[in-house]
Amino acid sequence: MKQPLLALVNLNKYYGDVHVLKDISFTINEGEFLTLLGPSGCGKTTLLRCIAGLERIESGDILLEGASIKELAPNKRNVNTVFQNYALFPHLNVYDNIAYGPRMKKSLSEAELKKRVVQVLELVQMSGYEQRMPHQLSGGQRQRIAIARALINEPAILLLDEPLGALDLKLRKYMQTELARLQRKTGTTFVYVTHDQEEALNMSDRIVVIDQGQVQQLGSPREIYNSPANLFVTSFIGDRNIVPVRVLEVGEERARVKLGEDSVLVRSSRTNGKALQAGEEAVLAILMDKMRVSCEEAENALRGTVASIHYAGSQIRIEVRVADRILTVVEYQKMDCDCAVGDAVSVTWEDSGAILLPKEDGWEERGF
Amino acid sequence: MKAKTRGFGTVYLSLFFVFLYLPVLSVVLYSFNASRSTAQWTGWTLDWYRQLFSDRAIVEAFRVSIVVALLTALLSAVLGTFAAVISLWVTSRMKTAIQGMMILPLIVPEVALGVSLLFFFNAMRLPFGVLTLVLSHSLFCVPYVYIMVRLRLQEIDRSILESALDLGASTWQMVRTIILPLVAPSIVTAALLCLAMSLDDVIISTYMSGPRSTTLPVHVFSMMRVGVTPKVNALCTLILIGTFFIIGLSQLITNKRRFAK
Repeated sequence: MKQPLLALVNLNKYYGDVHVLKDISFTINEGEFLTLLGPSGCGKTTLLRCIAGLERIESGDILLEGASIKELAPNKRNVNTVFQNYALFPHLNVYDNIAYGPRMKKSLSEAELKKRVVQVLELVQMSGYEQRMPHQLSGGQRQRIAIARALINEPAILLLDEPLGALDLKLRKYMQTELARLQRKTGTTFVYVTHDQEEALNMSDRIVVIDQGQVQQLGSPREIYNSPANLFVTSFIGDRNIVPVRVLEVGEERARVKLGEDSVLVRSSRTNGKALQAGEEAVLAILMDKMRVSCEEAENALRGTVASIHYAGSQIRIEVRVADRILTVVEYQKMDCDCAVGDAVSVTWEDSGAILLPKEDGWEERGF
Repeated sequence: MKAKTRGFGTVYLSLFFVFLYLPVLSVVLYSFNASRSTAQWTGWTLDWYRQLFSDRAIVEAFRVSIVVALLTALLSAVLGTFAAVISLWVTSRMKTAIQGMMILPLIVPEVALGVSLLFFFNAMRLPFGVLTLVLSHSLFCVPYVYIMVRLRLQEIDRSILESALDLGASTWQMVRTIILPLVAPSIVTAALLCLAMSLDDVIISTYMSGPRSTTLPVHVFSMMRVGVTPKVNALCTLILIGTFFIIGLSQLITNKRRFAK
């Protein structure tokens, strides 16, 4: 098997008494676009800073191409960072900003350097901006210069810390495709930090979901979206109805569960090691846009009454009261039936849209 | 009613500024008075300036003042800047301690500071003169440099420094290529302020002056005891112009920096 480019081994980090990174272990392959995804304060930025060498780790190791880099100062590591606020040097023009790395390392002659600066500027589509000062550039342009300034060093890994956070929505969408293009074109390994699930699902080859300093799940966007490993990932990615249910019987891949008066057959979590037992409390999560509301009785459905209907452009949000819970159904086409508030309806869903997970302590308090 | 209030305001402010600047203006004016006495005006002359420049003692005191002021500005700029830059790397408790100790020389009354320095330099067997003047002036100038550079450093985004390290700069390279250029305007402004403060100082200079190295303000002070001649007016006028020039220059630098942002 090919050796991974970067390996994190049981990495631990404390800020005083606070354990911010707990036993983080995973590997990053050469040329991939890997995203660290998690809510703010989950430790994803700290993890990035540990890789960059801007934070010390208390235990564990970081291996770059098989060699430990944990004791190396940031300037000795072959990784570069694009900071959230770009961090361009305000007193240097675009050319000198980009030339900064090679000049400090004295790795290129001035003539070669000039050629390289022209190349990277072309790469980020900012040719001709050499003499501008950072304060004369827009947010998106500064972003490109920050990326060019990092890429000229030809790092083994480019670390990006929420680089699109400060941009407006339209520019953010555009820069997403732009970043993906840059990554393909240069073949550089990108490690990207974000709290935005859409950004992560859109751009990444693989996603590492992090919460409370721990890796919750690692997989392709598809795997993570369709088969979340635990309750946190379930609630953090995708819009889902999450309700407590009682397990009636457990089969090979499916289980029968009871919510209120009705019992339904649902897909059971495969990624989680712990098997569910009959009679146990569990949690059912169903993607809102994989659900349908119908006026007639249906197979494998939950019965309830319509609580409210909202029309929001192309989609319709219907809230259905089932037992003492409210389920939200999002439909894109015309609804199957012309139901009104107060009508009795059945709620069904595509099999792949639902997943049954074991209950975790305190999950309701955490707002899942 | 409104017009009346405005009228009163104008009168008040006019009187205020007359009171503030009339003495200064009269000094300038009488430095050109042909008469020895300030009681009467007998016509224009540049005699007092001529006498001033032919007074060996005054010219020597002026030379000492300038040398001391320049050396003080230089020494304070270097020491203050280093202290401010180093405080980037200390713990926040240490930073508070440094801050407090820096301000202390500004709080201690100058008379007390002068006496203690007198004892100290005596014990050290340092000859009183330019050296002791520079050291003692730096004592109250360094805090200003420290504070002004520190303020500028606080404006610099931490990630700018981190990205310099990230891009391959050593700590020293980062200080040289990023920090120093960014704080340079503050260092120059602070140094000019030190220049002005050193030129102006009387109390500490009185203690520190050596037998043959007196600063200009100390010399003027001793001249006054013997009796005022319009020569003093001429001298004060020149000092005034010099100080205005320095302060104006530092203002210009500050404004230019503001525009650059």
